[in-house]
Amino acid sequence: MPNKVIGRSIWVFHLNSGSCNGCDIETLDVLTPYHDAERFGVKLVVSPRHADVVLFTGPITIESLPKVIRALKAMPRPRYIVALGSCAIGGNIWHASYSVVGGVPKLLEILKDEGVNVDGVFYVPGCPIRPESIIYAIALIKGIAKKKVKMKVKKAEP
Amino acid sequence: MKKNPLSLLTIASSKGRVTKRYPFEEPLMTSEFRGKIEIDESKCIGCGACVNACPPNALELLSSSGTKTLRYFIGRCIYCWRCIDVCPVGAIKGTREFELATDDVSDLYELLIHEEAKCSVCNSPYATVRIVRYVATRSPSTEGYVSMDPKCRQEKFVKAIEMRFGGLSA
Repeated sequence: MPNKVIGRSIWVFHLNSGSCNGCDIETLDVLTPYHDAERFGVKLVVSPRHADVVLFTGPITIESLPKVIRALKAMPRPRYIVALGSCAIGGNIWHASYSVVGGVPKLLEILKDEGVNVDGVFYVPGCPIRPESIIYAIALIKGIAKKKVKMKVKKAEP
Repeated sequence: MKKNPLSLLTIASSKGRVTKRYPFEEPLMTSEFRGKIEIDESKCIGCGACVNACPPNALELLSSSGTKTLRYFIGRCIYCWRCIDVCPVGAIKGTREFELATDDVSDLYELLIHEEAKCSVCNSPYATVRIVRYVATRSPSTEGYVSMDPKCRQEKFVKAIEMRFGGLSA
């Protein structure tokens, strides 16, 4: 059995940093009776001060960056980020744009300079993410499911 | 009007359960769903057609000394499958895989390393070994100049013109 990252019920805070709302709609879909994330103790809270995990969507526009840092500072330790969608992971089609930071990996470097510690980051690729992939990420945090992807290095024989 | 609470139980039992049991059962998956792509390392020639077609640059062709690497970053992919449409050799195929969540961003990279061919005249790398062989087999008339890089090819052409007509400016 894989290790549990968070043993208790996960209280999530939904943080949008300039997303197109595709991932946000799918996040709400997870909380409906059809997918029902409350089976795993997931509860949506309205303040980052109550949250264990922040559901992070969007490529982090420069305008939203100070607010994102403020929200993450307000979270109690241990704090976890779940980066939802390809915007939050790699910046999607805006990765080289002047007005976005371009993903959580780059945000973590900024947070390091600001002195904000993040205990763990989970990446959930998809554009937009399926509700099932969010449930799979929750199962990963709760230690129900096993990680499937791994870095692959293939060599083309000449 | 107040309803008997027990009547709710009869409604609930007749309607059944709507909540999906995922991750303890198979997810609902249609045939149209597009997931992660898979690159066949035995077929890929490293031409870069997919790199040009990719809207978010999830596929990138990186050059380093002696090798060309096709890098696929799943975290940036939007699953449009345009790379599958443009691939000239059909090396890319789509899967229905979506359970890609991970706690380490380096898990989301896939690398395919190609060896670079060297020019037969100036010995500088110009294309992958496989694309040179692909061109040579598809059009055998290129036999005389396929093993040269574009610059040497140009010089050879200019020399041939000079030999034939005595110069480019007439």
